[in-house]
Amino acid sequence: MSKALKEITLGRVFIYLFLIAGAVIMIFPFYWMITGAFKSYVEIGQYPPLWWPTTFNFDNFVIAFEMAPFLTYFRNSVVAMVGSVSLCAFTTILASFAFSKLNFPGKHVIFGLLLGLMMIPFEMIIITNFRTIIDIKIYNTIFALIIPFTSSIFYTYILKGFFDSIPDSLYQAARVDGCSNWKYLWRVMVPIARPSLVTIILLNAIASWNSFMWPMLAVVERDLRTLPFGLYAFVSEGGAETQLMMAASTIIVVPMIILFLFARKQIVNGVARGGLKG
Amino acid sequence: MKITIEHLTKDFGSMIAVNDFNAVIESGELIALLGPSGCGKSTMLNMISGILPSTTGKIYFDEDDVTEVTPEKRGVGLVFQNYALYPHMTVLENIAFPLEIKKVKKAEREAKAKEMAKLVHVDMLLDRKPKQLSGGQQQRVAIARALIKNPRVLLLDEPLSNLDARLRIEMREEIRRIQQETQVTTIFVTHDQEEAMSISDHIVLMKDGFLQQVARPQELYDEPANCFVADFLGNPPINKTFGVVSNGKIVLDGGCEVELEAAKNLPEGKKVTLSMRAEAIVVDEDLVNAEGTVVETYVMGKEVLAYVELGDYKVRAYIPAEKSFGKGQKVTVGLKKRGVFVFDAETGERLA
Repeated sequence: MSKALKEITLGRVFIYLFLIAGAVIMIFPFYWMITGAFKSYVEIGQYPPLWWPTTFNFDNFVIAFEMAPFLTYFRNSVVAMVGSVSLCAFTTILASFAFSKLNFPGKHVIFGLLLGLMMIPFEMIIITNFRTIIDIKIYNTIFALIIPFTSSIFYTYILKGFFDSIPDSLYQAARVDGCSNWKYLWRVMVPIARPSLVTIILLNAIASWNSFMWPMLAVVERDLRTLPFGLYAFVSEGGAETQLMMAASTIIVVPMIILFLFARKQIVNGVARGGLKG
Repeated sequence: MKITIEHLTKDFGSMIAVNDFNAVIESGELIALLGPSGCGKSTMLNMISGILPSTTGKIYFDEDDVTEVTPEKRGVGLVFQNYALYPHMTVLENIAFPLEIKKVKKAEREAKAKEMAKLVHVDMLLDRKPKQLSGGQQQRVAIARALIKNPRVLLLDEPLSNLDARLRIEMREEIRRIQQETQVTTIFVTHDQEEAMSISDHIVLMKDGFLQQVARPQELYDEPANCFVADFLGNPPINKTFGVVSNGKIVLDGGCEVELEAAKNLPEGKKVTLSMRAEAIVVDEDLVNAEGTVVETYVMGKEVLAYVELGDYKVRAYIPAEKSFGKGQKVTVGLKKRGVFVFDAETGERLA
């Protein structure tokens, strides 16, 4: 008995050591970024590295804010994110419902084709997308950051998978009661799928927040730039002012961390629910 | 409400699930749709509800032809095998949902939902989510939700199959009580003969998409229309033997002669199935129809289950516990009138 207990505890020690090592690897860049944001120009370049800034000064943040119009960038990032994420969530919900619960000719073929499109990397369609936004005259507007991202096959695929797991008898029960597809979708399916939905919305939000290449191509006006471009500005305009870049990065990352903390419970629910199905 | 089904057929292409089905279900009755798995009883139920369109045939609710009417306009309440409760809604919201769809005002539909909850005895669970309920409670909620619209007919698909044995008996009595209180015409699907026998007014017995017999439970047991009905009902299963009519007797395979009043009217040389319920067979008493050999006995407590060899067949019979027979003992076998049937061996039709 005591031997078995000992073995378990020893195993646990290893598991925890392993998890701690993983956590350190994940957290270290954030630690370096945040502490770096408070270091001076000299401190950040020091060798051997300085683990903790000697004095905490907020000057870096102030300077960073002065060097690039972060408030404007922030506003643009938020507008692009909210716009594309909410529209994408809407189309994803509708498409998932159609592919999961409705019957129409060619359903499986169409879905197969759409899935096939996932194999084409985003970089390959950048040029055609670019031409499209010029043709529909949204080049260099905020819409250029929203319209191309209003649908996602990947998220549709994930949500369809969840919708598939909702028994058809629920649909039939609602139909017998006179429930329309529309009402059924929003009153029954979407609330049940909420954990999955929160997950894909969050993933989408992070992707939108961090996207760099497309916003850089699609808008040229400084007033329309998004936050990641602000960092790029530091490289070219600010030279090797690493401590300023760290401060700017911290500013950019904080909203996502807050968003994640709010949605964390929902995501964990989603994962746990998937495991307990049945 | 009376339901009339005329020549109803459902052809799935690969198979015909329901074949030329005719039946009349009287208003206010509790009807069991009984049959083995895959006999088309759920298909039948889904066609009555309108979820599944029929291939040919007509369904009438009273005088209205509802064959082409969509489910929501038929006024049916449906209870699913897995209850199909909405997991994110409370019991109250679940029960009230059909009225919510009809845009009934919140106060009104909640009052009605509470009334329904009281009827099915879940009025103390209104704020719970389905996950927090037992199977029987979920079933009650599902019934309440089906009844809240005052449906013309209540349909239950295998309502008891997901419950454990004790709860099953309790719930079937509950279904009977609720049906009696509301007087709604109710059809429930089951493959459990005991369930069907115990609570229904009439049983509709199906096999391979064909209607076998519609009768009151006792009538179905005592007067089966064909060999399948006799086989399907009863526990232990009916003793089934095959033989040929000869000189007004039935000669079973293996040469055992069975004297039977009913056999006297049957044509000579006719191949027949002689089916006998275990309780219709008496051993070593005044009533004598045949002679056999005891091959095995099992003590059951209040009686003994004996296997008696008649020709090539071993038939089950109950004998009083005070009598004892040894293995291999020759005995006389008597057949009571009730519980002994002769069927055409080829068509399965009842001959006597």
